[in-house]
Amino acid sequence: MTPCPPLEAIDKRFRGLYDESTTTLRILREMEALFVKKLLAPLVGDAPLVTVIGLCKNAGKTTALRRLMGELEGECLGLTSVGRDGEATDLVTGTEKPDLYIRQGDLFATARGMMGLCDVTLEVAGLTGVMTPLGEVAIFRALSDGYIQLAGPSAAGQLPPLRERFADLGAGRVLIDGAAGRKSLAGAGVEGTAILCTGASLERDMEQVVAETAHICRLFAVKRPEAPRLQTALDGCEDRFALFGPDGDRWDLPLDETGAPRWNKLPRDRCVLWAAGGITDPFLKTLARRGAPLTLVTADATHVLAGRTVLDGFLRTGGTLSVRRELSIAAVGANPWSAYGWHFEQQRFLDALRQALPVPVVDVKKED
Amino acid sequence: MELTLELRENAGLQWVLDGLTPMSPFGRAAARTPVWYGPGEEIALETELDNVDRALTLWTAKDPAPLRKLTRCLPLFHDLRGSLDRDPDNPFDLVELFELKHFLVTLEQLAEAYSALTPFAGLTLVPMEAALDLLDPERRRLPAFSVSNSYHEGLAPLREEKSRLEREIRTAGPEEKPALLERRRVLTVQEDQLELEVRAKLTRGLMQYQAEFLSNMETIGHMDLLLAKARLAQRNHCVRPVLSADGTLALHGLRHPQVEAELAKRGDEFTSLDLDLGSGCTVITGANMGGKTVSLRAAVLSQLLFQCGYFVFAETARLPLFENVALILADSGPGAGGLSSFGREVYLLDGLLRQANEGRFFLALDEFARGTNPQEGAALARALVRHLGGLDCMALMTTHYDGVSDAAGAHYQVAGLVRELNGDESDDPRRRIARRMDYRLLSAPPGAPCPRDALRVCRLLNLDPALMELFQTDL
Repeated sequence: MTPCPPLEAIDKRFRGLYDESTTTLRILREMEALFVKKLLAPLVGDAPLVTVIGLCKNAGKTTALRRLMGELEGECLGLTSVGRDGEATDLVTGTEKPDLYIRQGDLFATARGMMGLCDVTLEVAGLTGVMTPLGEVAIFRALSDGYIQLAGPSAAGQLPPLRERFADLGAGRVLIDGAAGRKSLAGAGVEGTAILCTGASLERDMEQVVAETAHICRLFAVKRPEAPRLQTALDGCEDRFALFGPDGDRWDLPLDETGAPRWNKLPRDRCVLWAAGGITDPFLKTLARRGAPLTLVTADATHVLAGRTVLDGFLRTGGTLSVRRELSIAAVGANPWSAYGWHFEQQRFLDALRQALPVPVVDVKKED
Repeated sequence: MELTLELRENAGLQWVLDGLTPMSPFGRAAARTPVWYGPGEEIALETELDNVDRALTLWTAKDPAPLRKLTRCLPLFHDLRGSLDRDPDNPFDLVELFELKHFLVTLEQLAEAYSALTPFAGLTLVPMEAALDLLDPERRRLPAFSVSNSYHEGLAPLREEKSRLEREIRTAGPEEKPALLERRRVLTVQEDQLELEVRAKLTRGLMQYQAEFLSNMETIGHMDLLLAKARLAQRNHCVRPVLSADGTLALHGLRHPQVEAELAKRGDEFTSLDLDLGSGCTVITGANMGGKTVSLRAAVLSQLLFQCGYFVFAETARLPLFENVALILADSGPGAGGLSSFGREVYLLDGLLRQANEGRFFLALDEFARGTNPQEGAALARALVRHLGGLDCMALMTTHYDGVSDAAGAHYQVAGLVRELNGDESDDPRRRIARRMDYRLLSAPPGAPCPRDALRVCRLLNLDPALMELFQTDL
């Protein structure tokens, strides 16, 4: 049973409703909404930042974001996106319907070129210095409810300063419309938690979709190395590649002229390799081919771009994967409908995901 | 005079300018385009140098707080000159209005900080309170901008109605929502039109202050540049140059900062130079690698810095003003326009001499005519020294040719390879030479022969012994 919401929440919600147009029916509906089961809000808890990422197009990313925004009403939200999807051209010409409806008081960061597509009453609250093809990203405060279009910074490194600006301006929580597509989980690399959206558009075969989603969840569950000295050594590491002993002693790492390690010179004993960049298929294959145990440490889960078969190959040869910064997935949203004409049986899909995944799976379309 | 990129690069001026640290976009723009003070602009130049002096006292003041209040504002400015370059009938968008407000609010803070300091001569900020009041009618000076209801009497009722509708939409069921949203859409279009009207009116109002905006941006840029010039002088122990009354030039304890920095990287020290130049041509001779070209470049750099209103890299500096300052280096890189190094030298010299009657000029020549056969080259160099002696100019020429200094007004010689040392054969050849070299410029009598040091320099540079032997037998 859903517990009764605190009185101040009720008060907040009803303030402003008492005018001549308010009907008993609407008040009742409002009461009803308060007791509606919240799906995503309890799962993200009090995480100060939530990124919604999609494994593919049409995974229900926007639906999940809208749902979360609805469930978090009463909070002052700061909204932005990681870049802009492929639909940008259509959006620039204004042919597509704006997609996010926000509440008065919310903050959002979007490119200046998007201003004309936002129909809330705008207050310009600041500029970020982040340039995009659609102009500099500016921070706005919504002085009314209404539709907005997001086109935020495209580099993950530009998100943390933006998050601070949001906090300075009074946002209680920041929501990021992350990228869609397996190759770019960017945006989820900032601290906080993520909602991962998956769906039938990813693959025709349901088993494949479940396996791929499980792979991403497994990456996000990767932990920091345990040895405290190793943790300290890794936190201070600014090199592209570095080699450590299991306890955190820095070992010599021979590099070739391109700055990449000379793989055949790596010690055969268990060692810890730090790689700052993206972990690709060829990179993991090279490590697996050595056939010697090795712990690979990457900045965070979003840096692993390699596919699951290659990662499995690496793990089978005695390799382990570790991260410098742990990330988490609060929930997985599933859309059984694909954009390409096929769909999965809804309950079977949810059940399969629930069985395979260690995190809660929700159907964001579900009304209650 | 036009400060070409080639001249700036060759003299090292560009290197100095790149080391400036202005804090505002206006200061950066000002630093990119140095102002040239020619003869007749002595008072303006003195004012500029007074101001740099003034800025230097600000940087070295015991209490840094008043200056910090000013410098804190500088990085906050955005360059809005692009926005202001418009037809007043073309309305600013909301972000542009925000930027203008942000500029004006920061300007107020800057003006307040500036008023607490002794002002720079000739630098005043034009107050723009009236313009700011346009953007902030409630005078709250908050760092945000929106088209508030006070701008148009139609806005408040419209927004109130819209807000009521939006509250209804929040609680509406799926069947009544589309109709409510459509009603809201109509209201947003009306709101947009009213906002556009307001923006158009604001734009016309603000554009009346265009000249004040631009003049303040110019002033901020100048102020920022003065602070950057002073900081450069402070970091590099530069000295304020004095305008020479008799047209002679005296640089004592002269350094070239770019060479000095390169040496410092290798752990070596720059030997400072003393140079006194009068009218006509002064000739510098001396051993290879003895720093002749460096002294030439240092002299040109000092002259350029002085005439751009900068302090000079020396212990004392007394400099005149010239209409034109030229540096002709022997090396012609790519892009010489189909000319050989000799051809290019002659071409550049010819261009300069054609302008000789336009006023007093300064000319520095590095081993002029070295690219042709020695006999003709020496004759041409001698002829040039004689010719320059008859012109209204000051010239400095390095050469390896004998007899060139005979006709010169003065003659300097690099002290040269004076020290005999042994036992450092395995060391870097550059350091071996540096260890033996006395880089000081010494006054020499006219006609004193050029030193014959090529053999020793080659030996110190570890030239192939077989070749060295042939070289020695031939001498």
